[in-house]
Amino acid sequence: MEEYYLICEDSLEGIFTGIYNAYLMKKPHDRLHICVGAEDNYRLFAVYQECAPDEKKAASVARTVLREFGEEAYLSVCRALASPEADKGEAVYKAVVTGFSMRRRRELMGNLADPYVRRVFELARFTANEAHFHVEFLRFRELQSGILYAPIGPKNNIITFITPHFADRMPLENFVIHDDTRNILAVHPKGRDWFLTSLQEGGELPEYRLSQGEEEYSELFCHFFHTIAIKERNSYVRQRGMLPLRYRKYMTEFNKQGLET
Amino acid sequence: MPFGTEAAMERDKNQLISVPVKEQPQLPYLAAINPTGQKTLMEKLGILSDAAKYDVSCSSSGVGRKGDGTGIGNTVAGGICHSFGADGRCISLLKILFTNECIYDCKYCINRRSNDVPRASFTPDEICELTIQFYRRNYIEGLFLSSGILHNPDYTMELIYEAVYKLRTLYRFQGYIHVKAIPGANPLLVQRLGMLADRMSVNLELPTAEGLSRLAPNKHRKNILTPMRQIQRGITQNKEEIAVYRHASSFVPAGQSTQMIVGATPESDYQIMMVAENLYRKFELKRVYYSAFVSVNADKELPALPGGPPLLREHRLYQADWLLRFYGFEADELLSEQKPNFNVLLDPKADWALRHLELFPVEINRADYRMILRVPGIGVKSAQRIVRARKNGALAFEDLKKIGVTLKRALYFITCSGKMMYPTKIEEDYITRNLISNKEKLPFGADGMTYKQLSLFDDDMPGWQKIAGGTL
Repeated sequence: MEEYYLICEDSLEGIFTGIYNAYLMKKPHDRLHICVGAEDNYRLFAVYQECAPDEKKAASVARTVLREFGEEAYLSVCRALASPEADKGEAVYKAVVTGFSMRRRRELMGNLADPYVRRVFELARFTANEAHFHVEFLRFRELQSGILYAPIGPKNNIITFITPHFADRMPLENFVIHDDTRNILAVHPKGRDWFLTSLQEGGELPEYRLSQGEEEYSELFCHFFHTIAIKERNSYVRQRGMLPLRYRKYMTEFNKQGLET
Repeated sequence: MPFGTEAAMERDKNQLISVPVKEQPQLPYLAAINPTGQKTLMEKLGILSDAAKYDVSCSSSGVGRKGDGTGIGNTVAGGICHSFGADGRCISLLKILFTNECIYDCKYCINRRSNDVPRASFTPDEICELTIQFYRRNYIEGLFLSSGILHNPDYTMELIYEAVYKLRTLYRFQGYIHVKAIPGANPLLVQRLGMLADRMSVNLELPTAEGLSRLAPNKHRKNILTPMRQIQRGITQNKEEIAVYRHASSFVPAGQSTQMIVGATPESDYQIMMVAENLYRKFELKRVYYSAFVSVNADKELPALPGGPPLLREHRLYQADWLLRFYGFEADELLSEQKPNFNVLLDPKADWALRHLELFPVEINRADYRMILRVPGIGVKSAQRIVRARKNGALAFEDLKKIGVTLKRALYFITCSGKMMYPTKIEEDYITRNLISNKEKLPFGADGMTYKQLSLFDDDMPGWQKIAGGTL
């Protein structure tokens, strides 16, 4: 028997479209698979099919997930799809299939004995945790123009999960969060809604300088950071456990110059 | 309704704030101790954060509040840590003292009157600027403001109030604020400060009244418990008001906490846990913090601690504290008069389980949630996931592992569909040996903190500590 592989674009829209098309094919679900991005290891006896993202189909799948499985599952699916892992599309697709076979569909995410649901759960948890770490450890620098600028380098695509938090927190600030690895920017103009934008391939941010106040306050904070520790209790291991090294690259207190410009 | 309304606040402010500030010229003490001029902000921050660091509480949890769009700040119910210091403690709030000048002479405290340490005081504006500027860079989650006692409790409390009032009204700061209620201060001040703060705390300092009178002769148990009771009543009353008037302003919405020093006085763990349990039950505290005694002063009343602060003991107390708050344990179950201290080698939950082997093994697919919570190796989250996941079919050991259960600890106490993971003896000695042999992960250690044997030739012990031999 032939296996069918749907090749989807690596985005929420792309994968939701893939799920829609998979259902359209009316083939047994265990012979249908979703892969994300180009497949580099083609199999024999398998049919590969490109799947162009379609806004209407994606919206329909999103609506269905939300309606049938509730907000918890919908949020988990969105988080799981922010992951860089290649099997995310397959996990979400099969979790949806599992969901339709359940009596209480709203309990989908509680069904951790199912391997696909568990995979979605794991991926979503990683994204949620990383998003939370960024809410904690992200640092803004004030530029001469008064704009607050924060570079980040997350593994999952979390920028849309964290920006609303900062937009609510600082409605009267102009700020920019910059995902270094994906070159995406979340821009929040003072008093207005935030939006996403991206840098062109190979594009760079205009040159910027830190403000006078920035030097002063970053220095004050570094001083505070050092005096607040009780040296009789020093524990590098504990510190590293709570604050993984990979976040420190962007943090003012571990990188006193702020940013190498 | 004397509090809360804006007109009343304005009136109170005129009555209480302006009077003492007028009477006493602006910060006269600064000129006296520092005749060459003011300290820089950097120096002040250094002195006053260094002086505040022994306060344990740094949580920013307990209240979720959206920003209203007119200022800066919101709060998140779960709290947010923003950094971790070299000691691995979380840095969530800008933790500072208003001033480290103090009329009291508590023996354990670095800021006591008789110590010769540099002194400094902030102005309310400096505190506001620091808070806002740190906050907008996402360094901190809010302000933790405590203070030494300057002149008298009322005066100190008014200074704190002035800073917090400015921060809330002038700077429109809506982030988290934790303030200390100063024991002995006018109840009216406590009440009004509570309308501005998210969390308030009064430190119990030491677990028993006897210890307090020995080490903190200027403080009295009664003075500490009075504001604690007042805040508790304020919170209850405020909840009723909010139920009726939805927009009534809230009083200490994140609840109150306290802390006590462990290891400075000879109380047993049992006594400490009983005190903590009473504080949770009778005073409805959100948190009780335990602070391993750090020897900063040489004093004949204080114990010498050549092995450093009693961190393991503190850790066990926190573990037990969690058992009280989230696992449905009672202090009496964990310790007793006959067994007044925690086991050094085993955590309190495993220790309890080993003394109650008649209740085990527990069948994961049937047992009550509360019983599953009591199994060593299963935490609150795993227990919740188990109860939810088993509705869709029986769970096996493999599933438990994926769910997050620490099987190497739990396997002696559970069955899945009637079977144990391996054939094991349910026998106290056997399980104890096995539990101890897979090493417990302690949050400290590896760089310095171990259970080191005391030796006569311990040369990293400072000389004065040997001379100031303690009573313990």
